[in-house]
Amino acid sequence: MFFTLFEKELKAILLSPKFVVTFGICSVLILLSVLIGVQEYQANVDQYETAIQLADQEVREATSWWGINNKAYRKPNALQIFASGVNNDIGRLSNISTWREVKLRQSVYLDNSLFALFRFIDFTFIVQVVLSLFAILFTYDAINGERESGTLKLTFSNAVPRAQYILAKFAGATTGLIVPLLIPIALALLIVMVMDVPMTGVEWWKLLALIGTSLLYFTFFIVLGLLVSAMTRRSSVSFLVLLVAWVLFVLILPRAATMAAGQIVHVPSIAEVESQKDRYRTDRWSSFWEERQERWRDNMAQMEGMDEEERDEYRAEHQEEWAQADDDARQLAQEDMAEFERKTNEDLNNRKGEQERLAFTLSRFSPSSAYQLATMNLAGTNTTLKARYEESMKAYRTSFSQFVDDKREEERKRSRQQQSGQRTVIRFGGGDQSLDVSELPRYEAPESTFTEAIRPSIVDIGLLALFSIVCFGGAFTMFLRYDVR
Amino acid sequence: MFRILVEKELREIIGSTKFAVTFGVCSVLILLAFYVGARNYQVSQAGYEAARAENLKQMEGLTEWTRVDHRIFLPPQPLSTLVSGISNDVGRTTEMRTQGELRSENSRFNEDPIFAVFRFLDLEFIFSIVLSLFAILFAYDAINGEKERGTLRLSFANSVPRDRYILSKLVGAFLALGVPLLIPILIGATLLPVLGIPMTGSSWTRLGMVILAGYLYLGVFLTLSVFVSALTEHSSSSFLLLLVVWIFAVLIIPRVAVLISGRTVDVPSIDKVNYEKNRFRSQLWQEDREKMNDYSRENPPSAGEDMTQWMEGFRAFMTELSNERNEKSQEFGGRLNEDRRNREVVQHRLALGIARLSPTSVFSLATTDLAGTSLELKQRYAEAVNRYQETYAQFIEEKTGTQGGMFFMMRSGGEEEEEPEEIDPYELPVFEYQEPTSRELVGGSLLDVGLLLLFNIVFFAGAFVAFLRYDVR
Repeated sequence: MFFTLFEKELKAILLSPKFVVTFGICSVLILLSVLIGVQEYQANVDQYETAIQLADQEVREATSWWGINNKAYRKPNALQIFASGVNNDIGRLSNISTWREVKLRQSVYLDNSLFALFRFIDFTFIVQVVLSLFAILFTYDAINGERESGTLKLTFSNAVPRAQYILAKFAGATTGLIVPLLIPIALALLIVMVMDVPMTGVEWWKLLALIGTSLLYFTFFIVLGLLVSAMTRRSSVSFLVLLVAWVLFVLILPRAATMAAGQIVHVPSIAEVESQKDRYRTDRWSSFWEERQERWRDNMAQMEGMDEEERDEYRAEHQEEWAQADDDARQLAQEDMAEFERKTNEDLNNRKGEQERLAFTLSRFSPSSAYQLATMNLAGTNTTLKARYEESMKAYRTSFSQFVDDKREEERKRSRQQQSGQRTVIRFGGGDQSLDVSELPRYEAPESTFTEAIRPSIVDIGLLALFSIVCFGGAFTMFLRYDVR
Repeated sequence: MFRILVEKELREIIGSTKFAVTFGVCSVLILLAFYVGARNYQVSQAGYEAARAENLKQMEGLTEWTRVDHRIFLPPQPLSTLVSGISNDVGRTTEMRTQGELRSENSRFNEDPIFAVFRFLDLEFIFSIVLSLFAILFAYDAINGEKERGTLRLSFANSVPRDRYILSKLVGAFLALGVPLLIPILIGATLLPVLGIPMTGSSWTRLGMVILAGYLYLGVFLTLSVFVSALTEHSSSSFLLLLVVWIFAVLIIPRVAVLISGRTVDVPSIDKVNYEKNRFRSQLWQEDREKMNDYSRENPPSAGEDMTQWMEGFRAFMTELSNERNEKSQEFGGRLNEDRRNREVVQHRLALGIARLSPTSVFSLATTDLAGTSLELKQRYAEAVNRYQETYAQFIEEKTGTQGGMFFMMRSGGEEEEEPEEIDPYELPVFEYQEPTSRELVGGSLLDVGLLLLFNIVFFAGAFVAFLRYDVR
């Protein structure tokens, strides 16, 4: 009996003109989004590689370790093809220098505002918005539609167990809608392979998990359709209720949640925080200069009463020591500034974290948000992307600064040796020859393992499963009590 | 006759459950958009004021204008709360320098990616996504639905002219949807000044135009739905067809247009342009470095010469070199920027030309123009920043006697040195971002408002012609 009902449901879906149209559209959209995504990714890779080459060249062309400028770039991620997340909203690069803080800047949308106006289209977006709408379109009249057309009464004039009927409805709708969808998805994966997108084994696993999550989300809307259809008498009413639910889940709740969190948890603007850091920096440098001046006065006082020759001798004897004292003081000032920046950033990040937690908790009432958060986590394009890169760039900055500081010290020593015996020489740059940068530390983009990607997604995938189970349980219970007449 | 038909249509829509539900949802959404938009503006304004105050505060206690780290900020635009456009994607902070190219940073979405995940709920979003969908829901079966129920044949059993019938269908649907929506919109608009949004006469005019564009956009989807309903036999077919059109108009065409133009018109990347500029600057520096070393070798301070006097001469020499270098860099950079900008303009024109095939893009472009949050915002802010840079450079020159760029500070430790006087940061010229006049903004949106009107006329004409030939049996 179950198979007969299942077959009937499957045929009803597959043979309807609605299916041909929606399947065609979904296939075109999925393939189009992946094709465009691959091209965008390749354009990003080209831009990234060119930028790295140009930055390297700039470093190689430098003639002094004092004037060296380095940049670290965010590496394009192959999974952005499927879930772009905040990839285009956050900065692509950061200056790496001893003097300046690491900060991602120049987002894709900032550089190309045209893209910001209409945004990109990706696989996640299509599943989230279009497929969910189509799932509703196929299931809004699953039960009450049969009642309206009189087939429900006819069916139950036979000895059909209700449990089997609703299970067959669910299995039929799910198979009828999901299996055909696997065709464009498989073709999309083929596009990724044919177009030579470099995907590692871990990335393939993440992609499979992302597709699995998408199908789970799609299933949720199928069972939601069944539930509402089993709760209402008329298909027009169930369609309206489902459309409103879709608008709420997909369009309203996620936005309203973040906006509410923005109102509840106050986070100071970055401009405000930067000005605070500037203030501290200015004050600290001022005190450094004052201390230095004080030391200079003391040193001068030591030479009082000496003639010029004695002074030169005394100066030559103590020059190293004085320079060391200045260096130590400068280092201390830099450490203080770094500590202040660290504390300020930590405070800011704590507040941001609090705001984010609240926003995501509220938004998770919507399966659509849960789906989006899960896919972004799996693709590595979630809100932590910025922090992750900034952290790794900070670590790189430390090794870079260490290396450059050593080189500067060598340069300074050379310069001092060349200057010895001269009274006043002002030199600009370290010479005409380019620097040997072969040993310069290179920036490595952070990579995440499959476990690291799946761990934060588990809550959301679990929620999607829970929503689906609850809705199916609801549909099952409602149908057991349903008046089939 | 026309009145009776309109009345019938009105009653049918207003008396339906569909209307009660959608009206409730729309009202809540519209009020929420106004309220949250106003609150967001308050938060942004407070952040802007705090950043400005903090910027001045960090300069307090300084004794030299040469050591000032000055920043200027793009203030939030009152109407961006209702039509955000690209306002969250443009850099809002600019570190001011007396010379050289300036770059704006700290876009809202870059700083708070959490808001980029789901984006904002604004009036433009509600009109373009939610209301258009509801318009379809109300009119997809305007003609074929009546046929399915048999009421069309009944109506035409009387002497009802077809043109009046189709016109009354549209007018009825438009009034039934549009007039009730005015209630939450008017309440929301009243909330704006109450919640502290500085609404000037120009802002009200532009808000009025945004709402007018919204109604024209609603009209596009109503006329389109009636048109499709008059073209098809079954309401289920018309709904499916309209849903497909909606997906293409709202989700696909705008994005594909941008991608096509991105592929067609090649715009050099910012990185490449910056590299060219840096390379040129580096070349100039290499040349000047030789001159500096020569100067230092050829004019060493002679024994017993006053060091301050020697440094003065050296500073004059350096300033001259620096000015020449900056002039050349700016000229070169300006040429590169202009070339990039020209290509960008061509790319934008192509993208927007294709995107205008979709009424949703047309509506977005019209409203972002009116709210001052269109693509022009970035360019306008950049121009305002450049103008301010000139004023700032002039101010610094007055204060320090140099145009900036390279400063030499002589620090001596003599006991007779006087305690230097602190600078007054409040003397700094104030950066004011002037929003374009409403005449400019409304003028910029006229093409798109006209296009929306044209879409209405074309779809209505289509519905009219299709209905004249429609088999009412």
